[in-house]
Amino acid sequence: MTGGGPLLVVDGVSVRFGALIAVNRVSVSIGQREIVAIIGPNGAGKTTLLNAVSGFYHPFEGRIAFEGRDRTHLSPPDVAALGIARTFQNVALFKGMSVLDNIMTGRLLKMGGSFLTEALYWGPARRQELEHRAFVERIIDFLEIQAIRKTPAGRLPYGLQKRVELARALAAEPKLLLLDEPMAGMNVEEKEDMCRFILDVNQEFGTTIALIEHDMGVVMDISDRVVVLDYGRKIADGPPSEVRRDQAVLDAYLGVAHE
Amino acid sequence: MLDVLYAVLVAPFKDMVGAPAFLVEVLIGGLFAGLMYSLVALGFVLIFKASGVFNFAQGVMVLFAALTLVGLLERGAPVVVALALTTAVMVALAFAIERLVLRPLVNQAHIILFMATIGLNFFLEGFGEMLWGANVKKLDIGIPDRSFIVRGVQINQLELTAAITAAILVTVLALFFQRTRIGRALRAVADDHEAALSIGVPLKTIWIVVWSVAGVVAMVAGLMWGAKSGVQFSLSLIALKALPVLILGGFESVPGAIVGGLIIGVGEKLGEVYWGPLVGGAIENWFAYVLALAFLLARPQGLFGEKIIERV
Repeated sequence: MTGGGPLLVVDGVSVRFGALIAVNRVSVSIGQREIVAIIGPNGAGKTTLLNAVSGFYHPFEGRIAFEGRDRTHLSPPDVAALGIARTFQNVALFKGMSVLDNIMTGRLLKMGGSFLTEALYWGPARRQELEHRAFVERIIDFLEIQAIRKTPAGRLPYGLQKRVELARALAAEPKLLLLDEPMAGMNVEEKEDMCRFILDVNQEFGTTIALIEHDMGVVMDISDRVVVLDYGRKIADGPPSEVRRDQAVLDAYLGVAHE
Repeated sequence: MLDVLYAVLVAPFKDMVGAPAFLVEVLIGGLFAGLMYSLVALGFVLIFKASGVFNFAQGVMVLFAALTLVGLLERGAPVVVALALTTAVMVALAFAIERLVLRPLVNQAHIILFMATIGLNFFLEGFGEMLWGANVKKLDIGIPDRSFIVRGVQINQLELTAAITAAILVTVLALFFQRTRIGRALRAVADDHEAALSIGVPLKTIWIVVWSVAGVVAMVAGLMWGAKSGVQFSLSLIALKALPVLILGGFESVPGAIVGGLIIGVGEKLGEVYWGPLVGGAIENWFAYVLALAFLLARPQGLFGEKIIERV
């Protein structure tokens, strides 16, 4: 790999929708095994930035590099193949499929084999399916969702859907995990669980994590570093304790007194 | 009054019990027709599942495949070679459709894609006739259209072969959808495009796969129908019979397409033979649609469709 270099480098990236510049020359670098929180008021461009990294939007200037290689213009499936997994703000699960099948889809990129043996479910294909199933069961244990394994994902309460979405992302064994508001709409208990899972993933699998979150308590507790966006620009970047005291951040969140 | 009730409710069943061998023959004929409907319906289901698009051109794909097959056979190609070449043509067609029709329309509303398939329908119809001519053709694939008798029941060899082929095809497809990586990817795409992209499913590959599979299914259907009743334009109209099958079985269900097809095939044959004389015949022509109408009223999601429950 790249040794000690940062895992992801976003360099002067801008994303534009017509006349609106949603992300304006933002540079962020994320190191191996870091947990980085991206915060900012509504409409600050957080999700847009995440979408640019995961290939759903392409920046009109700047570049994005992953493990030292340029990947600015890749499509979402190619980005996924590099080892970047994500979750969505509004939960994008396969609602008609069971939880188990949902998580299995996360393994797609890890599977191989020919069309024919798969169609007939023969030898290697069957063995492969079982191996992946075993891995997925470990994730299910890890996220404590054994009981809902066979439930169609669309029937679950919101908090659990978020957890299943995280499980699907983890099933891909990503190097970088992008979480878009993983705790939105959760109660305190669910939030605590989710925090624990994020920290455990980071420690046990060594996964680098970038997350967007609004709950400041959560952000300050779990992140190594906080990046603050406002109106598409980066206004602060540093450890939580520093960012919390940053005047520009306070102004963005609390408003500035204009004379 | 009593006479009418007797004729409708009792006499047909008496006939059935009175001549069991004949009843079995009617049932077999119905099952065969039903399997053929299922095959056409299956093509619709595959594409609908994977892309949410109702492919209006499925019927013409059946005709096009059959025309290609006959054209190649007429030019002296051996059956196996002709089948392989036709398969290749259907796969090439899938590539062309993905590149020229689907890709430029990605992210458009389903109705737009549906309109595009109507265009595709007319194009394929004209293109097929331009290439191979519009005459009625006989399709001979070397299976004799002969019958043999088992315990007093006449069984047609061609129908039997067709039924076995269809059954194998359907089993393989069902396994494929349920158990495999590509099958799972197909279902994922059907459910949520964005999420499917994020887990690394390349949409265009999936589309090529489903359209190819739908093309091959269309070929098998065209082959069976063509061998039975000749290859001609009306072949594309069996797609109309597939619609009630889909309403019965549910647009998204492979087993639904099979069961729906069988119910309609058997139902219309029984209706025609036993109740037809009462109303002067032609029950076979409308039975499927009336049944579909009843289903739309009572169970709009079909027998196997996913019931849509939304949180409010």
